[in-house]
Amino acid sequence: MAERAQPQKAQDKLAFLLSLVPYLMDHDRVSVAEAAAHFGVPEEQIRDAVRLISVSGIPGETSSYQHGDLFDISWDDFEENDEIVLTNLVAIDDSPRFSAREAAALIAGLQYLSALPEHADRAAIASLQSKLSRGASAVPSQVAVEASETDDTLRLIREAVEQGVQLKFDYLNSRGEHENRHVDPLRVESVDADWYLRGWCHLREAVRTFRLDRISNPIVTDEPITHGATDVTLPDTLFEGSADDLLVTIDVAAGAEALLVDYVPDGAITTVVDGRVRTTVRVSHYHGLKRLIASMPGVATVVAPPEARAVVAAWAAAGAARYR
Amino acid sequence: MPPASSVSRIPVEERLFSLVLALLATDTGLTKNEILSTVQGYRQKFQHSGDNSNLERQFERDKDDIRDLGVPIETVESPGQAGNNQNLRYRIPRGDYELPSDIAFSPEETTLLNLAAMVWREGSLSGESRRAIIKLRSLGVTTTEPVLGYAPRVRVRDAAFEPLSAALEKHLIVQFAYLKPGEGEPRLRTVAPLALVQHQGRWHLYADEPESGSTKTFLLRRIVSAITTTSKSFPPPAADQSERALAGLEEVWRRHTAVVEVEPGSDAATRLGKRRGTVAAASGALELHYSDANILADELASFGPEVLVLSPPELRDAVRDRLLRTAADHG
Repeated sequence: MAERAQPQKAQDKLAFLLSLVPYLMDHDRVSVAEAAAHFGVPEEQIRDAVRLISVSGIPGETSSYQHGDLFDISWDDFEENDEIVLTNLVAIDDSPRFSAREAAALIAGLQYLSALPEHADRAAIASLQSKLSRGASAVPSQVAVEASETDDTLRLIREAVEQGVQLKFDYLNSRGEHENRHVDPLRVESVDADWYLRGWCHLREAVRTFRLDRISNPIVTDEPITHGATDVTLPDTLFEGSADDLLVTIDVAAGAEALLVDYVPDGAITTVVDGRVRTTVRVSHYHGLKRLIASMPGVATVVAPPEARAVVAAWAAAGAARYR
Repeated sequence: MPPASSVSRIPVEERLFSLVLALLATDTGLTKNEILSTVQGYRQKFQHSGDNSNLERQFERDKDDIRDLGVPIETVESPGQAGNNQNLRYRIPRGDYELPSDIAFSPEETTLLNLAAMVWREGSLSGESRRAIIKLRSLGVTTTEPVLGYAPRVRVRDAAFEPLSAALEKHLIVQFAYLKPGEGEPRLRTVAPLALVQHQGRWHLYADEPESGSTKTFLLRRIVSAITTTSKSFPPPAADQSERALAGLEEVWRRHTAVVEVEPGSDAATRLGKRRGTVAAASGALELHYSDANILADELASFGPEVLVLSPPELRDAVRDRLLRTAADHG
């Protein structure tokens, strides 16, 4: 997956410098391109860092940063061949430890991913976690995520990708219709406890997102895929808007807006009406809307259009009628 | 900021990098005065006979930023000068700075760690996980490309997460208003944070409450005020707090069961049937586990007529009341 360029803070730049030096020490000669690819950063970021490293050092005995107290590089190699060769080293011998929070983030991430087929070897994961703890500068912070829960579907998806074949399954779409789908699996994504398969759907002839908990009877077929992960550019967002989407005005209790963030389109106007936040949500049909609103009783109310209000009212009333 | 002078501006990262190098290189430590007067980025602003209080504050902030990265800066007292703050000496002990030499990661492990870091690409731990990966790459291990691409993500949307995780790290007592379901008014809580855990997709704070003398679990979404971090600290707890918190939540989840009837073939039947721990009875009814009745009631209400709660009665009432409320609000 392409990494988006993030604006770097001075702290990030420092972590990068402290990490780049030991890497360069281990490589007697490395091209800027190779270092950039290894760290997943633009080449210019490597060049900037090398320029800074080459003029840095320690005050030294004279307190005046004499030549021998500074890092040095082979300037000819750098300027003419775009290669990095460190010729004088100062102060740094090895890679830095992880901070307590850095180690905690990785440990909690590993826990969360324990449902992946790649994590089948539990002993290996435990040893990895203990290495992270030992490699941290302090006891890793107590942040943890419950192991994600998925069924055998993930393993079958992986098998299909390995064999380059389509996966076939029954899918209950969000309109409540059952369909038989043939899909070229492209990527598995998750948001907290929910898991999704993104793939090329042969029924729709387009990229679609499937919730794993709506997939039944998955089967690895012997039909070859027509679209592989490298052929298709997946959009960054899991759910995309379409021109046919319906816009609905809703009021939501202050503080609860975060629950709706996936549904609020960019540029939606938000106002405060009687202490509640009035905003717009985008839905592909009212089948999804009625479920969403019914999960937030007293917290979210549809204001307009009237058809949307009627669909929600009918859904809730039908539900309540079952208790008579 | 010094007046625009002949001194060209030294970038922040160059000052921080120079400080780390200087403190790593010294065995005996450097006094603050030595640092400010000789280290690149400070020395340019240092007044030899004047007030350096701005520069001293800068140095304090820089130390915090550097420690945040897991770089240990220790202070040692000058021999014979105990108690004299001006003569405290600063250094970075090499053994606590460097990754122990026996720690190495295989390409497969590095691939797993890359994925683990990707989990946090949004929100409050994204900076930490990004920096952890940079440090990992420092070791020069190349990764194996996974067979199947993954894009896992854990979200941290609760505003309380960031201040709580900072207080957790520093072992500081916090205060917040907490709205317990069934209580009309939020109540101010004063607690010692022990762990932050996500269970069933929701973030919880596990904390000691001195007032009640007990350890409690708070749902972050029910914290209705900003977090106030006090200056009062508490002794670091044992290291297994997050395991205890998760085990406690799991126990509550296991103990609570609800029996629901679902419309065959419906969204409710598919999704509830696939939930962890769900058992289908011979009658076709589903037995579900849950940790919080109010949250389960919200979830079951979303299924409208696809679900009928059979037991427990409180849950049955809660779902019915929710549906009636939604119907009334939209009538």
